[in-house]
Amino acid sequence: MAQSNNSIKKILTVAFALCIVCSIIVSTAAVALRSKQQFNQELDRKTNILEVANLYESGMDVNETYESMITPRVVNLETGEYSAEHDPDTYNAFESRRDPAASRTLSGERDPAGLTRVEKYSTVYLVGDPDDPEQIILPIRGQGLWGLMRGFLSVEGDGNTIVGITYYEHAETPGLGGEVNNPRWQAQWEGKEIFDEQGELDPAIRLVKGGASGETEVDALSGATLTSNGVTNMLQFWLSPEGFGDYLARFREGTSQAETQGADVELESEGA
Amino acid sequence: MSAASPKSVLTTPIFKNNPIALQILGICSALAVTTSMSVSLVMTLAVIFVTAFSNLFVSLIRHHIPSSIRIIVQMTIIASLVIVVDQILKAYAYEMSKQLSVFVGLIITNCIVMGRAEGFAMTNTPGMSFLDGIGNGIGYGFILMTVGFFRELLGAGSVFGFTVLQPVQDGGWYVPNGLLLLPPSAFFIIGLIIWVLRSLNPEQVEENEFKMKANTQPKEAV
Amino acid sequence: MGIRQTLDNLEPHFHKGGKYEKFYPLYEAVDTIFYAPPDVAKTTAHVRDGVDLKRIMITVWLCTFPAMIFGMWNAGWMANAAIADGFASMGTWREAITMTLAGGHDPDSLWSNLVLGATYFLPIYLVTFVVGGFWEVLFAIKRGHEVNEGFFVTSVLYALILPATIPLWQVALGITFGVVIGKEIFGGTGKNFLNPALTGRAFLYFAYPAQISGDAIWVAADGYSGATALSVAFQDGMAALSSQWSWWDAFLGFVPGSVGETSTLAILIGAVVLLWTKIASWRIVLGVFLGMVATSALFNMIGSDSNPMFAMPWYWHLVVGGFAFGMVFMATDPVSASMTNQGRLIFGALIGVMTVLIRVVNPAFPEGIMLAILFANLFAPLIDHFFVQANIKRRMQRTGVPAEETA
Repeated sequence: MAQSNNSIKKILTVAFALCIVCSIIVSTAAVALRSKQQFNQELDRKTNILEVANLYESGMDVNETYESMITPRVVNLETGEYSAEHDPDTYNAFESRRDPAASRTLSGERDPAGLTRVEKYSTVYLVGDPDDPEQIILPIRGQGLWGLMRGFLSVEGDGNTIVGITYYEHAETPGLGGEVNNPRWQAQWEGKEIFDEQGELDPAIRLVKGGASGETEVDALSGATLTSNGVTNMLQFWLSPEGFGDYLARFREGTSQAETQGADVELESEGA
Repeated sequence: MSAASPKSVLTTPIFKNNPIALQILGICSALAVTTSMSVSLVMTLAVIFVTAFSNLFVSLIRHHIPSSIRIIVQMTIIASLVIVVDQILKAYAYEMSKQLSVFVGLIITNCIVMGRAEGFAMTNTPGMSFLDGIGNGIGYGFILMTVGFFRELLGAGSVFGFTVLQPVQDGGWYVPNGLLLLPPSAFFIIGLIIWVLRSLNPEQVEENEFKMKANTQPKEAV
Repeated sequence: MGIRQTLDNLEPHFHKGGKYEKFYPLYEAVDTIFYAPPDVAKTTAHVRDGVDLKRIMITVWLCTFPAMIFGMWNAGWMANAAIADGFASMGTWREAITMTLAGGHDPDSLWSNLVLGATYFLPIYLVTFVVGGFWEVLFAIKRGHEVNEGFFVTSVLYALILPATIPLWQVALGITFGVVIGKEIFGGTGKNFLNPALTGRAFLYFAYPAQISGDAIWVAADGYSGATALSVAFQDGMAALSSQWSWWDAFLGFVPGSVGETSTLAILIGAVVLLWTKIASWRIVLGVFLGMVATSALFNMIGSDSNPMFAMPWYWHLVVGGFAFGMVFMATDPVSASMTNQGRLIFGALIGVMTVLIRVVNPAFPEGIMLAILFANLFAPLIDHFFVQANIKRRMQRTGVPAEETA
């Protein structure tokens, strides 16, 4: 038996048979479960978005609420206008930051959040009527202490008042920087304002140590100076004209409605 | 080993011959996935499933495996099982699989699975091999759950996600121990478990590798 | 001879078959605090020096006194100054003691500062001593050996590297970890490869970072936030540091920090005694110092726009944070350091280099000496191994025969 087991023929047969059987099992599992997995990923993303908009309750039908409440739109970060080129349901801003054609490089002072490359178009999520949204949910990301932090910031329809902030991905120290996801810390963001005065383009919102005062200040995370700096820096970047500044400015001026239509036309002609 | 009863095959790996505590295998995943008990539990189930079925399949075809490629055959079987587990978790327990991330995939490299396939399943009947796989999976899981229990309770004040000790951040009294949320703490806990197990079963203690010479006696020296 | 007689009368109870047989280590510990041990070394192996472990440990203990007393004054002075500025004081019973003994919070009064500081430091030391001593005695009884004096040093060093405001239960947990995990599980004094005091502090550092790092914990006044010199430099740069404190402030110790580490001068007084009695190895101290100077000079030369720590010169590194304390008292721990003479230099240099590396390059930890020493502890046996092997090889070449094993 041992003799025949080690013959070349037997080795090849066993190896071949094993490969066939295993690959059939693995590919069956992968194909059969793919739709379910994608559904899960979508659900996870939608849950995060609903959470930051204060719309999430455990046990709710995430998909249904999301469909009825949220409209994704792709924004051109340079002009602050909506883009018609990209389908908001399939466009992936995080992926396109790697594509040289769809992104631009940042360096030095223009890159406080430590991103190096940033996409030209980004997806925002509008709550309620897309032409006059109750909330605008912006994706934000930036370097914390130990690595990239990714999350969402939700802003009211006036383009200035904050509703909430969440991080769905970070590697900060548990108990210190990791407290970015502590509900108590997150709760104090509600009602804070991004900009000092009307018309100003540089965001004023920041974290301060030892007791925040005023509408544009939030308590820093205690014992986590560098994570707090990271949060401030990424907000400074994403809310400035480098990020969503121009886009938010249109809401603050109350002109978003009128230009939405024009933006589409403009971009179409640009593309042609 | 020849006289092993099904029951002993199932139970000895839990305390007497624990894969982590005695054989010191599979430590790396024990460090990574034990921050909370629910994650530890899912990891335990995944490992039990993979060890049991890889043992079963290897044992089923053990008479046909050419010895020159036996390691590759075992690895292929184990890897296929792990991918299937990973896919199922992604489909039906997405939250869990997000937390377990790469560590489900790394079950492939978990020495326990490979070690049992090579050390037991190649020479035993399918039924016994299956039980041995379950036993070793449980032994692994026992350590994982114990480590997970202490890390979650002392590190976050909860058990299976239910708050037991109200942490100060949420207005309670308990100051969570941040060290236990970091991977190295699992080393300390596993070390302490080994200490306890070996105090209870002194036969597990290894022989000294060397003996120190006794001090020179005063009489001899003077 | 009252004590001797009492002890002699009690002695039979602690011997084999006596009532308290199990507690012999405890008896032995008390006995040898008062009198020379009954069995002293008589063999040739020991006649080179009259110093024994007990005397070494007590000398080290005494050498920490300048730093300890200054540290208590500093803790009290910092708190009193903050209270004089309008911050509320923290303690309740501490307040009562300060009021009774000193009559108030006067930052100009030496006595008031010392008393307030003592109400913070002494409880820390007491808890360390009681809890650590408990483990020490427990293991001694269980293993049937004597309680070791090394614990005297461990406990005082551990208490001195904690901030004054640390909760006492954390003090107890830290020393438990330091003594049990850092020392006893490896077999007790002489067999530990890590410095137990630093192991305990490292445990607290990672377990409860909010109470042992940051800006709010160094000064014992409610709500007062004052960064240590190191974190000022780390966050705002050298200019901010030197505008807040002069180098002499930091050298003499008028800065916030852990109790024993603030005054470089007081530490150096202890260092002189330790080096003069040859208890601390001058090679280790020199190695740490040179390693620090070389690495900080290198960083000065490289320079950096974004990281202000690159610009910190070596004479500042020496006086801020726990560098001096670590160099003098922690790195020179005879058990966990290297044993060979050349090895000690390398061991010290490794600490110096790692300290500056952690201080300058690591984004999260402003202080580096604690982790640097623990790191070097791990390498001490390896360093020794190389020098011992090199020695054996040299000898082989000279004599042509392997060294005879001698007792």
